[in-house]
Amino acid sequence: MSEAFFSDATRQWQTLMQQSAGPWAELMRANAQPPTAFEQWTTMFGGGGTPTETIQRFVQGARDYLAFLQSGITAGGANADGMTGWVEPLKRMFAAPDGMAGAFEHPFAKLWPGSAAGANPFALGVPGFGQAATPDLRDLKSWLTLPTFGPAREHQVSQQQAALAWLDYQQQIQRHNELMMRAAKRGFEVFEGKLAEREQPGRQIESLRALYDLWVDAIEEAYADIALSQEYREVYGELVNAQMRVRANVQKEVERLSGDLGMPTRSEVDSIGQRLQAVRREVRNLRGGDALIDEVANLRGELEALAQAAVKQALGERALMPSAVAKGQSETAGPAARRVRTAASKKPVPKKPLPRRAAAAASGGFATRIAQFADASLGGKRKARGDKAAPAKSSRGAKAATNPRGQRARS
Amino acid sequence: MQAVNIQPAKAAEEVLTAQRKLAAALNTLRSMDDVDFGVTAKEEIYREDKVVVYRFRGERAPTAKVPILIVYALVNRPYMVDLQDDRSLVKNLLAKGEDVYLVDWGYPDGADRWLTLDDYINGYIARAVDAVARHRRVRKINLLGICQGGAFSLCFAALHPHKVQNLITMVTPVDFQTPDNMLSNWVQKLDIDLFVDTLGNVPADLMNLCYLMLKPVRLNQQKYIGLVDILDNKVEMENFLRMEKWIFDSPDQAGEAFRQFLKDFYQGNKLIKGGLKIGDREVHLGNVTMPVLNVFAEQDHLVPPNASRVLADHVGTKDYTQVAFRGGHIGIYVSGRAQREVPSAIHDWLAART
Repeated sequence: MSEAFFSDATRQWQTLMQQSAGPWAELMRANAQPPTAFEQWTTMFGGGGTPTETIQRFVQGARDYLAFLQSGITAGGANADGMTGWVEPLKRMFAAPDGMAGAFEHPFAKLWPGSAAGANPFALGVPGFGQAATPDLRDLKSWLTLPTFGPAREHQVSQQQAALAWLDYQQQIQRHNELMMRAAKRGFEVFEGKLAEREQPGRQIESLRALYDLWVDAIEEAYADIALSQEYREVYGELVNAQMRVRANVQKEVERLSGDLGMPTRSEVDSIGQRLQAVRREVRNLRGGDALIDEVANLRGELEALAQAAVKQALGERALMPSAVAKGQSETAGPAARRVRTAASKKPVPKKPLPRRAAAAASGGFATRIAQFADASLGGKRKARGDKAAPAKSSRGAKAATNPRGQRARS
Repeated sequence: MQAVNIQPAKAAEEVLTAQRKLAAALNTLRSMDDVDFGVTAKEEIYREDKVVVYRFRGERAPTAKVPILIVYALVNRPYMVDLQDDRSLVKNLLAKGEDVYLVDWGYPDGADRWLTLDDYINGYIARAVDAVARHRRVRKINLLGICQGGAFSLCFAALHPHKVQNLITMVTPVDFQTPDNMLSNWVQKLDIDLFVDTLGNVPADLMNLCYLMLKPVRLNQQKYIGLVDILDNKVEMENFLRMEKWIFDSPDQAGEAFRQFLKDFYQGNKLIKGGLKIGDREVHLGNVTMPVLNVFAEQDHLVPPNASRVLADHVGTKDYTQVAFRGGHIGIYVSGRAQREVPSAIHDWLAART
């Protein structure tokens, strides 16, 4: 691509120099240089290595733009008095091979290079195939709907369906292209309108780049009008659906051939994947689902919080008795009281059971809630899910590091 | 007066300037390394299948008590929120003291073909939220959903309101059938079942080409012509190539999730019309009762502003705030104005609700 491009650019440049006349040509001749930078680009990106997509897009854009600039200069010299001269280079730029008309092609067609007319997978079996929809399409369709007979009947039916799908796809491409051509035509009308608006003082176009940008605004505006229309919605939908039908038919044939050769097929792999995913969901549900896991995590957090509170309370009570005495005495008494406090603080804290209320809350509360939740789960009640608001006092974070849910997920 | 008043000398100068830029480009591009992205340090805190939850590390410890989990769309990579040093929503939020986590969906392949929206929303997102809550030892977290991830976050918040302290949606479609939504117009007549049954996972290249078709000349040509202007500027070229990488570094879409997303969201518009079921539960936006901040872009060609604005009419919260950003779908993350305005808007809003 790059080599042809640079030779084109050089040739266009030379042609420009030969054909241009008047002050434009004189100015350009004074500074005329062949586009050597592009030749360097050719060496860099078009020679040894494979250019990246970005570079390809850039080179394409730069080529189109340079061609436009050069054509614009020619047009400016030849048609300095009218706007038509400025429109023509843009039209040529749009319609050129690999020009922006290509950008209007349907993306599905781009992703499936072999789908272009003439390269379809059924061309071998059907005379006249491979051409875009032709005037004798009706004959071709009637031929494809002939009844089939014999042991290979099913295969013939399948191939006929595939061929019909391909014909339909060609028709849909044609419909789409017609709409795109309408958008392009309308784009140039909008462009001329925008140019007319620039005839007012202070709004004139004063650079080729500004002219190009105005053209882009115009053609995008026209395209958007079409692309947002009800008609395009229909055409686009039909086009994509038609291509999917073609693809599905091709896949069907590939499946058949793969089966004949004893190879695994896409549908078999899909089935395995589908079943595997279903099993994963089932396993999760059997384990109680996320709701149960959430609830258990919540309850564990609550339990830990309660236990911690109970321990704090117990410790507080132990510490309170001697220290309260000591504090009370220290505020009012002398050395004797301080001795009492010292003695008390050195005394080991006796191990005492948790306060009755806290212990009951810690054990009975947890057990009760587990039982309630289990009952609800077995009964299939939705309210048992963890989606209801968790108790405000819960603290799930305490056991976060060892939460079995996280470990299971990682495995 | 003529509409076009291009002086020959100026036109010639334009051509020669383009030539000079191209010559300079040779040196610029040769001196460039492969672009990097994702500038902020991060640690993995949770992993499941291809999904990873990261916690970003700022230069100072976070001061926010409630962490933010960013839920990005499935259709692009999430490093857009941390693209480069001077264009990073994450970095700016960290600088303001927020504690930022992010769900990275990875690149789905054939093994993920049967993942449903239930698997994503009630599965991956729910467990990611739990992982963040455990990590920070809190009961609720702040959820920040972006684009499609915003729609998922709305569903999650409606289904699990007790897990979300505050909800932030950015460039999030809510009404999927506004008249100016080109993508929506295109998919209304698609036979989605045939589409997914045939393609399986939806190829990223196909998605990208569809996005390019939203503005075919601007995105396929004008953008690259504009590149000529910065060819002699290495920094600008790196920025351009970094963005270019993000645009085309797209994951395939898990088939079943794509099927439901297009049928229920785009074709059925069920998020606002009702009847949207994720798993076996119906999504009611009225259940979104936590404070909501909705940020959208006024020049968004992918998610038109009106597609987002309508959220105000459907959420159940009494604390709803809306921010209209002057920019586009991508500019809301990477433009200079975005760096100044968006993180501050989010941080200030959250701070007022602490």
